[in-house]
Amino acid sequence: MFSAAAESFLRQAREAQPEELQRFAARVAAQLQGPEPGPEAAACLQRLHLVVAASKYPRRLDGEIAGLLQKVLCSSKCPEQIQLLCAAILREMSPCNDLSLSCDNIQDTKLLSLVSSVLLAQGDKKAEVAAVGQRIVKVLEGRLPEGQSSRYLLPVLSNVISLSPEALTEEQTNVVSKKMADWLRYASIQQGVAQPSGGFFSNPRTRQPGPVTEVDGAIATDFFTVLSLGQYYTEDQWLNMQAFSMLRKWLLCYGGKGLNAPNSGNRSEMDESVMSMVSTTSTSSHLLPPKERLREKAFEYCQRLIEQSNRQALKKADGDLQKACLIEAVTIMDIICKQDSSYVYRAAAFLKVLHSRISGDATYARALLPIAQFFLNHGEMAAVDSDAIYKHLLTDIPAQLFHNASLAFEFVLFCKENSQLFAETSSVFRQSFPNLFKFLAWNSPPLISEFVDLLPFLLDAGTAIEIFHLLLDLPCLTAALDVQMRSTSASERASCDPAVKPATCLEAFRHPLYKSAFQYLLRIESAPEDPPERLIPLRQLLGSLASSPRVVQCADTVPVLLELFFSVVAEFADGPLINQLVVLLLQRSDQLYEIPAFKDDVHRVLSSQLVMLCKLHPALIVELSKELLEFSGTVSNIQNKEAVFTHVVWAIGEYMSVSYDKRCTVEQINRFFETLEAVLFEVTQVRPLASIPSYAPRAITVLMTALTKLAARSQDLIPRVSLFLSKMRTFLQSPAVTSVYCEEDREEILTRATELMNLLKMPSVAQFVFTPSVDAARSRFQKEVNDTLPSALRIVTRLLEPAPGFVPG
Amino acid sequence: MTPVLGGVWAQWESCGPPPPIPPRMMQPHFGGGRARRDPRGRTGVLTQIPPPRRQVASHCHLHQASSGRPPAPPLPEDPPSLHNAPGGLFRLAPGDPFPQGTSVAWLAAPSLAFALVCDPRENLALAEGTLRHLAPRLLAALRPPGTGVLLRPDAADLLLDRLLPHGQLLFLSERFLQAVDRELSPACW
Repeated sequence: MFSAAAESFLRQAREAQPEELQRFAARVAAQLQGPEPGPEAAACLQRLHLVVAASKYPRRLDGEIAGLLQKVLCSSKCPEQIQLLCAAILREMSPCNDLSLSCDNIQDTKLLSLVSSVLLAQGDKKAEVAAVGQRIVKVLEGRLPEGQSSRYLLPVLSNVISLSPEALTEEQTNVVSKKMADWLRYASIQQGVAQPSGGFFSNPRTRQPGPVTEVDGAIATDFFTVLSLGQYYTEDQWLNMQAFSMLRKWLLCYGGKGLNAPNSGNRSEMDESVMSMVSTTSTSSHLLPPKERLREKAFEYCQRLIEQSNRQALKKADGDLQKACLIEAVTIMDIICKQDSSYVYRAAAFLKVLHSRISGDATYARALLPIAQFFLNHGEMAAVDSDAIYKHLLTDIPAQLFHNASLAFEFVLFCKENSQLFAETSSVFRQSFPNLFKFLAWNSPPLISEFVDLLPFLLDAGTAIEIFHLLLDLPCLTAALDVQMRSTSASERASCDPAVKPATCLEAFRHPLYKSAFQYLLRIESAPEDPPERLIPLRQLLGSLASSPRVVQCADTVPVLLELFFSVVAEFADGPLINQLVVLLLQRSDQLYEIPAFKDDVHRVLSSQLVMLCKLHPALIVELSKELLEFSGTVSNIQNKEAVFTHVVWAIGEYMSVSYDKRCTVEQINRFFETLEAVLFEVTQVRPLASIPSYAPRAITVLMTALTKLAARSQDLIPRVSLFLSKMRTFLQSPAVTSVYCEEDREEILTRATELMNLLKMPSVAQFVFTPSVDAARSRFQKEVNDTLPSALRIVTRLLEPAPGFVPG
Repeated sequence: MTPVLGGVWAQWESCGPPPPIPPRMMQPHFGGGRARRDPRGRTGVLTQIPPPRRQVASHCHLHQASSGRPPAPPLPEDPPSLHNAPGGLFRLAPGDPFPQGTSVAWLAAPSLAFALVCDPRENLALAEGTLRHLAPRLLAALRPPGTGVLLRPDAADLLLDRLLPHGQLLFLSERFLQAVDRELSPACW
């Protein structure tokens, strides 16, 4: 296999010994010291590069070879390939103490760019970044020698300001800002000419180039931009393209008051109250200071790009570029408005028109995000009612375009970044969470970590219940979205006979029996009043899609989100909400989409969260006694949802006590006792000549323990429990049982039964252990006792049945 | 693009159904050094940050798995058209491995995946478009595929120098791309 061969090749390179490497480096040096390094030198350098690059730890070459590489890099007679290789090796060795490279005397702009790449990789220990920055600006300011082009220098500058914005002085930034404004606004609108190839047959009279065109082929109507097309490009047109490419970064860094890192752009860092007092009309713009002039030209450029995006591009790549340009243009306008709020009115009017134009076009959906961002930032100032924009964004887009993975990603990031702002500005954000989850349901792997960040902002007392149901039904939503997509692309609309049950999910989509359930699941807005029970038949129907990969990927995200859900809810939930959640938890535990691993994982999370809720609000055991009695009394629950059952029984044993709720009466304790006793009886019944079903041993031990705890509080029950426990030995030794439970499990059950029986022989001790006072319950001692109950039981057992050699006290 | 991170890592792995043992990611990376200045300041420690191979591989596999279809066998086109190749975006949390959270654009070519690590507020639509221009040209420049590819960082560097110079994303129309291709064509080695 290809990768195995490459892998072994890499390993060889990685395992080259230092002495081997030194010898090879010496060979390379010999090649390079010749008059003109040729293909053999190139081949050696390629191998050297691989060895240096492949190793996981920095490889050190001796100073001589490093010096030689630098010399060769800078030599004018050297072929470009050799120069590239030398630079690549030097970069791999960064940081390099033996570097004496400097960009000061280099006239060739391509070489300057290459040398800069090495210098900028050094980690700026010797102020290399500033040195490079200074040199680049100096070259840009001055006159370039014949045949040299500035276009190799702008990307270096962009790199410099990313690493160290303070590398340039204000004077230098003004120089560059001035040039950028000219490059952006005043590039030639005539196409360039082909470089003459020379030779005997070349025609010295080249055809006059025509004007540049727009992306749809029409003659350009205004100044040159990145969306202007020509057969060949002039130097200033290249600079126009590159200046725009770094414009956003430049403005973020130097466009506002004071210095900013190019990756910030946070609202708080920009001074929004700056009002430009200088006229911004183009006739007097040459009087503007460089920063303000650049702002003006940048704004005009963005307006032009937005207009140019209205054209139908002839080539697909140009169409894609139009969209990227639109996004960039809107973003830059946003930045400009933050830096100078006098632009807000112009921008807002312009962008509102743009929004109307593109809001119906699915291919431009991604551009709606920066537009919405603009109005979130400036809508108030522009006195624009942006609600319609948010509404369209949050209700229409996710419903129609959830399957567009890139849009989904950017949309969710956008929501994350603006969750605070959205919550303050508009209620439509909170209400449209069902729509947002469609992105996650369809594109689970890239979005789960973003939703983990987003979920807390969507959760409050008003949305908690609905979101709980939504999370449990998330894989169902994936299946429904799949059906919806197939339904919209289905070529024929089959007529739906309401009398006939639908055979497939696709038929069910339009069938009256299921239509409203689909609509509910696929709703675009929060609907807290609607009962989720209507999804039960739909969940069964969609079972045929339960093994689809996308559904399974979605199902994997649910346990994580559920745990997060509960941890957030725990912070604000009051008693009634907790009760509601527990009731729903019990109900939903068998209303889950039929994916086996999914159900087990959800049960696991629900059961541990149930315990957490009981700890928060122990009185729920009393308040929800009816539901809990019903749940714990249903024997089939032990097999269908063992984890939940076990934890419910544990919680009953733990919290059904007057210490936790004064309303806990003896009658209630007795009622619970009888219910659990009946279940335990059912579970430990040995029917002759019939095989017994296997119940989880943990369920049996927890039932026994719970009964014991209840008996300790209502001591009339002690004889009944003791009798029961004493029969466990018989149960466990019967042949039917020995074939179903393994020896370890039987040992465990028997040991626990014995310990509990022994404890009940000392009722006051049992009472103390099992019925702490409320204050003591919170004290660490009691917590330790409860946590170490099993060992406490063992100590008591030993006290009652001392083994030889055991000395109490 | 965070320039010194050099942006593009070409990663060899089979994009077929996930093998029982996860494929090893080779990482001959091109363009830019790996050294990076620590944001604590000039005198901070220089850290070598490993590129996110594992995450890219995992997202490629998951994307492919979710489509439920086996990967189409690669056609012997020259160069392969990657217009409809699977691709996507995902996020790397702060600290894993870069100090600030970053977004990654990825593109899966037959048996290869490309990834662009972007600065926090980069134009992601442009990044995805750039990958779609860059990948077929890289594949063409590095023909024939094989271990020899590992020995040609200069071919890749040359392309990156024009299409992603110092990690800067460029707004290149089809015509600008043709101009770049013309400049590069006599220099093929």
